[in-house]
Amino acid sequence: MWRVKSKYFFVNLKGLQPKSIQSTIMKAFSVISISIMLVLGIVLYMRFSTMSREETVQSTRKLMEQTGENLEDYLVSMRQISDAAYYNVIKENDLSARDQDIQARMNLLYEANRDNLQSIAIYDSRGSLMAAEPVAAQKEDPDVTEQDWYKQAMEEMENMHFSTPHIQNLFDDGTLRYYWVISLSRVVELTDDGVSQLGVLLVDMDYSAISRMMNQINTANNGQHYYLCDSNGEIIYHPRQVQISDGIGGENSKTAAKYKDGVYDETFEGEQRKVIVNTISYTGWKLVGVIPYDTLAAGTIDIRYFSILIILLMAMMLVVINRVISLRISSPILKLNASVKEYEAGKKPEIYIGGSSEIRHLGHSIQKSYEQIDTLMKKIVLEQNERRKSEFEALQSQINPHFLYNALESIVWMVEGERNDEAAFMITQLAKLFRISLSKGRTVISIKDELQHAQSYMNIQKIRYKNTFSIVFDVDPNLYSYCTVKLILQPLLENAINYGVEGMDGSGEIRVTGREEGGSVILAVSDNGIGMSEEEVSLVLTDSNRIHKRGSGVGLVNVNNRIRILFGKEYGLKVESEPDEGTTVSIHMPAVPYTEENRKRLEEGTAFYRDEMPGREMREKQR
Amino acid sequence: MKNDRKMFILIETILAVLALIVASLMMWDKLRSDQDKISVIVRNSDDTQWSAFKYGLRMAAEDHGVEMFVVSTSATMTAEEEEQMIESEIDNGADAVIVQPVPGEESEEMLEKFRNRIPVMLVECATAETEFSGLPVVEPDNHEMGATLAEELLEDYNGNIKGKTLGILSETTDSPKVLEREHGFRNIAEAEGAEVVWAVAGNFSGETETPIGMLPQVDLVVALDDASLTAAGASVAENDLRGALVYGIGHSTEAVYYLDTGAAECIVVPDEFNIGYQSLTETAESLENFFRGMEDRTVSHTVLRKEELFTKENQEILFTMSQ
Repeated sequence: MWRVKSKYFFVNLKGLQPKSIQSTIMKAFSVISISIMLVLGIVLYMRFSTMSREETVQSTRKLMEQTGENLEDYLVSMRQISDAAYYNVIKENDLSARDQDIQARMNLLYEANRDNLQSIAIYDSRGSLMAAEPVAAQKEDPDVTEQDWYKQAMEEMENMHFSTPHIQNLFDDGTLRYYWVISLSRVVELTDDGVSQLGVLLVDMDYSAISRMMNQINTANNGQHYYLCDSNGEIIYHPRQVQISDGIGGENSKTAAKYKDGVYDETFEGEQRKVIVNTISYTGWKLVGVIPYDTLAAGTIDIRYFSILIILLMAMMLVVINRVISLRISSPILKLNASVKEYEAGKKPEIYIGGSSEIRHLGHSIQKSYEQIDTLMKKIVLEQNERRKSEFEALQSQINPHFLYNALESIVWMVEGERNDEAAFMITQLAKLFRISLSKGRTVISIKDELQHAQSYMNIQKIRYKNTFSIVFDVDPNLYSYCTVKLILQPLLENAINYGVEGMDGSGEIRVTGREEGGSVILAVSDNGIGMSEEEVSLVLTDSNRIHKRGSGVGLVNVNNRIRILFGKEYGLKVESEPDEGTTVSIHMPAVPYTEENRKRLEEGTAFYRDEMPGREMREKQR
Repeated sequence: MKNDRKMFILIETILAVLALIVASLMMWDKLRSDQDKISVIVRNSDDTQWSAFKYGLRMAAEDHGVEMFVVSTSATMTAEEEEQMIESEIDNGADAVIVQPVPGEESEEMLEKFRNRIPVMLVECATAETEFSGLPVVEPDNHEMGATLAEELLEDYNGNIKGKTLGILSETTDSPKVLEREHGFRNIAEAEGAEVVWAVAGNFSGETETPIGMLPQVDLVVALDDASLTAAGASVAENDLRGALVYGIGHSTEAVYYLDTGAAECIVVPDEFNIGYQSLTETAESLENFFRGMEDRTVSHTVLRKEELFTKENQEILFTMSQ
C-alpha cells in the first residue's frame, strides 16, 4: 500500500508527464559537462591564485633583500666614515695643535659623502664642540650631553650607536631650516693639547637618503608597504609615519621587531596580512614588508573575473553543443514516436524508419506489427460479419415457411383422413423440432439434442415423402455428451433428401453415422442417391452463391462456415461423392464435452482466433 | 519540444546576461582605476608655511588613491582670480577643489556656485558668519587659538599683564580667521588689563614691506598669522622691536626657528598636516560615495615653547613642517 502511495507521490512530484528523451539527455549532458568545467575552473583558479600569491611573496622578499643590502651598504659606508674620521683624523692628530689639518681631512671626508651626510662633529667629554664639518655656527646652548645619541655612546662605549630619526639640534646655518637625521655616535679617544680624553664622534646621516631608498620600493598604492623599525619597534621609516603618530593609522612594529627573518601571517586591526621580515645587520633594524590579504586577492581579481567569463562562455557553448547532440540522438526516436502517435490518433502514416540501427529495427518491428494488426482486424471484422450472416440464415431456416406449410398440410391431411395417431405423432415431432431449434437461443447444443432434432425432422419428412426412403441412425452413444453447433444435420439431411434419395421410390436410404476418431467427432450423412461429379463436389463448399433449387436455402457453405467459425479452420465439412453411387457429407468437429462452461466459451468465441482448438485442451483437462 | 526550446533559449539568455555582467564589471574595474583628481588652491602655495599642509594632502591622496595637485599661486589673489583659477582647474579635469577662499562675501557666493558642479572644500572661512555658509570647512578653532595665546602670555607674567602695552600684527584685517583669533586673544588680554596700543595689518615682508620697527613701541607684539609672526621674528633678530617680546600663531619652520633662537617667546601651532589630511580625506570620500556629504572638521593646535621644542611629539610637528 505504501509503495503504491509513494509511487503515486513521486509521479506527482515529477509532474504528471514524464520528461522527453531530448530534455533528459540534454540535462544530463549539461549537468555533467558544466560540473566538470566548474570543478576544473575552480581547481585551476585556486592553483593559479596560490601561485600568484607565492610569486608576490617571493618578489617582495627579493625586493626586500635588495633594499636590505642597499641599506646595509649605506650603513656600512657610514660606519666607514666614522672609522675613517676616528682612525685617520682623530687618533692621528692633536685637536688643538693641528686644527687646520683636522678640518681639512674632515672636509675631505664630508665632501666625498655629502649626498648622504648631514654633518660630522667631535665633542669632548663635557659636550663641547671640538670640530665639525661642514663648519657652521653652533647653537647657543644645545647641551649635547642631554641628547640621546650622546648618552647612548657614553652608556656603551665599545659600540657604535645608530639612533632613531630625529631633528638635528646642534647648528644654526642661517637657512631657518631643521634637518632630520639619524645619528651614528661612538666614544672616541681624542688628544687635546697633548692630553688624552674621551669624546664622542657624531656622524649625522641625512634621513632623506634612507627615506629615498624606502620611497623607491613604496610605490604600490594598494596597501602593500615596507617600513623600517629598530630592534625595539620604534619606527625609523614608514610611508604613513605621521598618520601613525597622529593616531590615524597604526602599525604592528612592536611585534614585527620580535620576529626573526621570514614570512609571517598576522592579523592587525582586523586585517589579515602577510608580513615579511628582513633584519639589517649590525643595527638590528628590521625591514618589514606588509602585504594585506586584500592586496593578494586584488591581484587575482582580474583572473577571477576572466575565469568566470570563460566558464560562462564555455557553458553557453556547451549548452548549444549538448542541444545539438541531444537533438541528433533523440530526433529519430522523436520522429518514430510522432509517427506512432499519429497512428494512434487514427491516421495511417508511414512509420518512420531512420537513425541508428537499433531505432531502424524498432521502426521496422512497429511497422510490421501494425500491418499484422491491420490484417487481423480486417479478418476479425470479416469473420464477425460472416458469423452474423450464418446465424441469421440458420435462424431463418428454423422457421422455413415452406417446410412448416408442408408439415402442417400433412397434419391437416392426416386429420382429415382420421389418422389421428399419425397426426398426433407428426405434431409431437414438429414440437420437438421447434423446441430444439429454439434451444433457449443457444448456438451450441449437445450432439444428443442435435440428433433428436434430426430424427424429428426426418420423421416429419418421412411422413411427407410417404416413406419413399429409409433413414438409419448409427451414432455411437458416447458422442451424445459432446458439443455441436445447432442445426447442422438438418441442412445435410435436407440436401440428402432433395438431391439424393428423392424420387428413388423406396430404395433410397439415408444413413446418419457418428464416431469419435483421434479426438474429433465425425458425424456423417450418407445417401445412396445420384451422387455428384468431382467438379460439383468441389463447388459445394466454395460457391456460396449457388442458387438452391429446393429446400430451406441453408447451404452446405453456411454449415461449413459456422463449424469453422466456432471450432477452427481445421474443422468443417467434407464431401465425398461418386456419381450414381451416392454422397457422404461428414461433419468434423472437436470432441468438446458438453458442459455449461464449454458452451459459453464456444458461444463467446474466446478461443475463436486461436489456431488451436479450445476443445482439445479442455478435453485433455477433463481426462 | 516547445518547452525544451524555451528552456534552451532561457538558459542561453541567462548565461549571456551573466557574461555581460562579468564583462562590464571587468570594464568598470578598469575605468575605476582612473583616479579622481583634486586640485588645491591656496595663496602663496610655494611658501614654506604650507609644507605641513601639503604633506598632509599628499599623505591623504596616497591613502585614498586620488590624484592631488597644488596650484601655484601668488601671495595676493582676488575673488575673480580665484574664480578663474577654479574654472581652469575644472577644465583640466579636477573632480573636486580644496580652496583657501579670498575673504569676503563675493568669494563665498562664487564658491557656492561652484559647489553645484563639483565638491568644494574650504580650509578657511570666507566670511565670519560661518553658520550661514553651507560650504564645509576644515580649520583649527581660531578663537580658541587666540585665547590659548593670551593664556600663555598670562602664564609668562604670572597672570599679571595689567598695564602692558600690546601691538597686534596680522596679514589682513578682513580675514575671518584673523578676526576670530584677535577676538579670542583680546577677550582675555583686555580683560586682564593689557592695553592694545595698535593693531596693524599688512605685508611685513617682501618688497612692499611695512617696517614693524616704525610702529610705536610696545611691551609685547602678538602676531596672529604665520607671515606676521616670521616678520616679527625677523625684526627681533634685527633688534628692530626695541625689546618687545613676540608671541604668535604660526606653522612654518621659520616661525619655529625664531622660537628656537629666542626671537619669539611662545607660538601656537595649528595642526596644518591634519588640515591638509582631513580636507582631502573628506573630499576624496565624498567623491567615492556620491551620497556622502562633506562635513566641517576642526583640527587641534599645539603650544610650542623653546624648552620643549625637541620633545618627541614636537619633533613630529617639525617633521611635517620640514617636508
